[in-house]
Amino acid sequence: MSAAFAKRVDAALADPILKIAVERTAGTAEAKRAIAVDGFAHFEAARTRAAAIKDHVVAHLGYYLEQFEAAATAAGAHVHYARTADEACEIVIGICKAAGARTVARSKSMMGEEIGLPHALAEAGIGRVETDLAEHIIQLADERPSHIVWPAMHKTSEQVSALFKQHHAQPHTEETIPAMAESARRHLRSGMLGADVGISGANFLVADSGAVCTVTNEGNAELSLVPPRTHIVTAGIEKLVPSMGHAVQLLRLLARSATGATLTQYTTFYTGPKRAADPDGPDAMHIVLIDNGRSTMRDEGLAEMLRCIRCGACMNHCVVFRQIGGHAYGGTYPGPMGAVLTPALDGLAASRDLPNACTLNGKCQEVCPVKIPLPTLLRGWREKSWREGLEPATMRQGILGWAWVAQRPRLYRLAVRAAIFGMRRFGRGWIRTLPMASGWTAHRDLPAPDSESFMSRYARGER
Amino acid sequence: MSARADILGKLGTAAPPPGAAEALLADPVRPTVAGDLVETFLIALALPASGATYERIDTVADAPAAVARYLAGHSLPPAVFLPDDPGLAADWSGFTLSPAITPDEPAVIACARLGIAETGSLVFETAPHAPMLPNFLGLHHIVLLPAAAITAHLEDAALPGPQPRAQYWVTGVSGTTDIEGQYIRGAHGPRFLHVLVVGEM
Repeated sequence: MSAAFAKRVDAALADPILKIAVERTAGTAEAKRAIAVDGFAHFEAARTRAAAIKDHVVAHLGYYLEQFEAAATAAGAHVHYARTADEACEIVIGICKAAGARTVARSKSMMGEEIGLPHALAEAGIGRVETDLAEHIIQLADERPSHIVWPAMHKTSEQVSALFKQHHAQPHTEETIPAMAESARRHLRSGMLGADVGISGANFLVADSGAVCTVTNEGNAELSLVPPRTHIVTAGIEKLVPSMGHAVQLLRLLARSATGATLTQYTTFYTGPKRAADPDGPDAMHIVLIDNGRSTMRDEGLAEMLRCIRCGACMNHCVVFRQIGGHAYGGTYPGPMGAVLTPALDGLAASRDLPNACTLNGKCQEVCPVKIPLPTLLRGWREKSWREGLEPATMRQGILGWAWVAQRPRLYRLAVRAAIFGMRRFGRGWIRTLPMASGWTAHRDLPAPDSESFMSRYARGER
Repeated sequence: MSARADILGKLGTAAPPPGAAEALLADPVRPTVAGDLVETFLIALALPASGATYERIDTVADAPAAVARYLAGHSLPPAVFLPDDPGLAADWSGFTLSPAITPDEPAVIACARLGIAETGSLVFETAPHAPMLPNFLGLHHIVLLPAAAITAHLEDAALPGPQPRAQYWVTGVSGTTDIEGQYIRGAHGPRFLHVLVVGEM
């Protein structure tokens, strides 16, 4: 394990509040999803269909991109293409500058985080108002999202209260969560209504109409995207769907898998800027279609990952995520989907710990609404890391040594007997400390082995 | 090479086999909507997750009285923002009408094009007579919906031909669970949603 990753995990495990906070959010989400899935008799068939829709689009991405571009352009939107995160930021900053923007209102978008848009806006001297309540909290705290659906799940209400009292002009006086939400409502209203540019991501890009679909439960996307003169969308190219009918089938799964709702409160399809006679809406709409490694992922064995609709169910159900939370992963995307995406986005050398920080229990794949074989993809990264020699020497030697012994059954059994004997000297039942095993025993006890191995009991005729 | 040419070149732009996309729409996998559409819609609307209330009225002419009753029930004066929507044509002379939407508008009235029984959603579109912002700024969102406009599934919301700037589906009130997972109504948008279902009693 790299020192940086180990340090982040140690800090997360030692944090007494984090575990409670993660349980509160992910545990609630898990329970609500279960009820929603029970209420949808055809959930399994819907998953199969959803995976087929995404596979169809990913196989014909170029075709649907062209179709989307033509339709969006016909509706009056400007369509841009960006190969990389930097190109995407350059385009967005260019549009903001041309529009003379002093402030932008941003509606939560993981793509914005992925390309580093908050940083790029700050560098360009453009004020940024995060309008999603959770994004507002972490903007005030100057932190990164710890979950793709609940970015501030690691914050307690006491921490939120302190942040609001420090930053809001008329903060709450009553120490309740409703009063805090009301304080944010008051504070953010002028930021949304007074912004020069509204920036959103996209949950779906509808190819046949050129529409951009956003989904929020607060209504902050709509409040951020209607008043400003300019609307900018940053979207990954894999967000395409052929038509609204295809989007609907994915929306049913997205809401149930993320929050347990049958549909998220506000689902909006934006097609071009305001029409001449419309009473409100932006004068200009720009859509930035971003590759940032996706075409390479498709062609190099990660096409299934491009099905992802960013519901967060995989992390809510992950035993590792539930222990360490989101920040320990160190990338834009945490949890199982993050452990697959981060090596593709940031390079495997810098993130090879992530595919290893997984028990392969398969829970993520089981709950994934688009049936992404996450454990298989994680194993793929492990194999690649081994082939490319990225594992540290001790790990390589250890595994090669084990393999050498494992291929010699008599020697292996002898070694097992010696290990049982040795380990049982350190404890019966549970082992609190063991030489060379501090990585395990620092945080939890190790179960002591039985006095005999399975093989010797089997050989004795025990069945 | 331009980013566009680069990306499209890498992906290839060959069309999918004819009928492949349509096949993925055939026989859509969705919750069954059985029984009376209006009843099903009203049940979905009143679920805690949606948190809306409703009243059934005979005609649009009955709307002003129903709105006045609703506002009085919430101890609010008879003052609303009313868009210039022909679907709302009635005698509103008993109300103070906001000449323009304000950031803290207490009550906003609107007309929905469709109701979706599957989810209890209301479908709106932007149009010259239908501003979008008021429906997100008001604290109380009061929506007129013809009973005949209630349809079974979300797929029914699709509009053929040229699209408006925005089509938006409202399912319940603005909510958040961003602080300690606790559900709060009225995060940024309406805290109350009241639907007046018109006709077909």
